[in-house]
This record gives sequence, C-alpha cells and structure tokens, in this order.
Amino acid sequence: MKNQKSKQQIRIFILLNFSSLIAGISLFYLVKILQWPISYLLLEIVILAIFIISLIKAFIVTNSWKMVHTSPKNLDEREMTIVLNAIRYAYSIFTILCLVIIYVFAIGKYFQPIDVVLASGLLYLAHMLPAAIIAWTEKVL
Amino acid sequence: MKSRKIYNRIAILRQEKGMTRKELAEKIGVNFQTVGYLEREEYNPSLDLAFRISENLGFPIELIFSTKPLKSMMEEIIQLKNKIGEP
Repeated sequence: MKNQKSKQQIRIFILLNFSSLIAGISLFYLVKILQWPISYLLLEIVILAIFIISLIKAFIVTNSWKMVHTSPKNLDEREMTIVLNAIRYAYSIFTILCLVIIYVFAIGKYFQPIDVVLASGLLYLAHMLPAAIIAWTEKVL
Repeated sequence: MKSRKIYNRIAILRQEKGMTRKELAEKIGVNFQTVGYLEREEYNPSLDLAFRISENLGFPIELIFSTKPLKSMMEEIIQLKNKIGEP
C-alpha cells in the first residue's frame, strides 16, 4: 500500500517535472514570438521552483538518475537490463520528439531558429528520459 | 522471445545459512535489491549468477533452481530416499 502510494507520488513528480520544462520553454517562446510583456517571464521563477523540486523528488531521491549515469561496472546484471531497456525506449521517444520539433520549427508558421533554450531543454530530456522511464516503471530502485 | 519463469529456493536456503540479503548480495556481487527480486522470482538470473548463488549457498544448482514449481525440501528428501530405496 505504502509502495503503491510512493509509486504514484513519483509518477506525479515525473509529470510535474516534464510539464514544468515544457511550460518554461513555451512561456519563453510565447514572450519571444507573440511579444507578450517581458514581465510574464517572472512566472519562470515559479516554474523553475516546481522544476527543481520535482527533479529532486522524481530522480535524485529515487536514485534513478544515478543508476542511468553510473558506470556499467557498478551495475549488476538486473540493473544493466533495466538501464538498457530504459535507454531503448528513451531513444525512440527522443527521436520522435526531435523530429516533431524540427518539423514544427522548420515548416510551421512561426519559423524560428532552434536556440539555446530549446537546445538545453532537449539536452535535459536526453539525459532524463531513461531515468524517468526507470522511475516510472520499476517497483524498487 | 519470452523467457520462462524460473522457480528457486534462494530465500529458504539463505535463511538456513543464517545470511541476510545484504550479505548474500555482497558475496555474489549484486545489489541487495536484486537478491529480493530473485527471491520473489521476479527476475531470472544469468547462468553465471546462478552458479555464483549455488557456490555461495553450498547446494547444487538443480536443487536451487527449477523450471517447475518447487516442492518443499522435506518432500524432496523423502522422494530421494524412496528413489534410492532407503527405509
């Protein structure tokens, strides 16, 4: 029961983390492209706070981040299987996401060069997707 | 290919040896949570890991692992005795 509850909490934090990332990047582009008032960017502080808290709760407390980024020499065979599976799924998701973003940016009405904000968001996603998959699916880490 | 479920007696034999999960994990070179997964039969070990478990528990591999649900040790002993015709 307790495990079930904490599993749900972890999943909520994962969703919060990725949602805040998307919200942060979207807000930046809305201000930039639609020329919303710069003061709207103050909202980024709240988004950043949610992002950091959910990052700690979803990936650092659960150790999933460490599991993905540690040397394979420090993992046993079960952990290796989990990490390799997570990387496989993360690769597929990330590739599809990148293609969608490239098409939206290249073909969309609001053509924009891909800048440092989006690039860092994608870099973060590339690093965190395998950890998110592990934290989402595994019973105990 | 979906692998078959492998049944085992790791938990009972480990307790028999008076070892904790952590101690067994250290001896066989895995994370102690992996021992939990093995004992709950939620993870099938590789052949190498199965041999390490067998060596550390001091029992033959066929007594620890099976592809069919395992009987209790007592039933197994009675069956063995009957096989060799011991009274």
